[in-house]
Amino acid sequence: MKFEKKRASTKQDIPTASLPDIIFMLLLFFMVTTTMREVEILVDYKLPSAQALEKIENKRLISYIWVGKGDRMQINDSIVKLNQVQDIMYKKRQALPNVIVSLRIDVGTDMGLVTDIQQELRKAYCLRINYSANIKI
Amino acid sequence: MLRKKRSHEAAIPTSSMADIAFLLLIFFLVATVIDVDTGIGLTLPEYIPPDEIEEVKVDPDRMAAILINETGDVLLDGKPISLFQIKNTLKPRIQSKIGLPKNKKLIVSVKTDRKTRYNAYIQALDQIKLAYFEVRNEYSRSKFGAKFDDLNEDAQNEVKDAVPIIISLAEPEYVKK
Repeated sequence: MKFEKKRASTKQDIPTASLPDIIFMLLLFFMVTTTMREVEILVDYKLPSAQALEKIENKRLISYIWVGKGDRMQINDSIVKLNQVQDIMYKKRQALPNVIVSLRIDVGTDMGLVTDIQQELRKAYCLRINYSANIKI
Repeated sequence: MLRKKRSHEAAIPTSSMADIAFLLLIFFLVATVIDVDTGIGLTLPEYIPPDEIEEVKVDPDRMAAILINETGDVLLDGKPISLFQIKNTLKPRIQSKIGLPKNKKLIVSVKTDRKTRYNAYIQALDQIKLAYFEVRNEYSRSKFGAKFDDLNEDAQNEVKDAVPIIISLAEPEYVKK
């Protein structure tokens, strides 16, 4: 007696011909959403956490100011001094009139420095600001 | 015979295509930073040179003055309160002014010392914003039956008009420099 396995006559393997297409779709998605970190952060900072947070919808409008430990302040790629802030930010505002300044300030910074920066921003007419913070869990 | 027949068809081997695509995919997965920028938004007032500043008297009933000193203690209208009570203290005051005209709404003024830690300031600001958000949500629930974020633009604007967020950052004092 011959034993034979009963098998359906249809093919059993998964068609892999479309696999590259699927992968390419995923790839394209990630390529489009990726924003490469273009600046190197030179200051050491820890963001505060808060609950009443808002998302900034338009990333293109954001310009960052970092303030780290030891009152080091960074705009773009370099450490700047307080008296340079106004000029730099004024130029940024001319290039992008509705710029949002995202302030990434270390939790331990004195408010004196923060208000000084804000005064400079007011002089440079960059009035929309955003205190960057993490979500409190 | 057989070999000759095959060599007529020139085909690129596509079986490794998926692998190549996977490699690229992994690269982009690793390189992607999806950090959404979240934070507390604020609009600064325009800069006015010190000699042109006009003092405007505001009805003390409209004002909620918050003072934070360098040790993180909070004064609300002269009374010491804890940082986490700010929200619950402000809420009824905001709610009591919903029906009033625009120039009678509550103004929250925040003032800090130069030595106050940034964290204390953000926590206070967070409490104020939370108070406003909760009042807005409750108001839109009672009026439109939905959360503020779920309303359409017209309804949102109506709520915004009823509960405007007015936060005034006091001019910094230079005494304690």
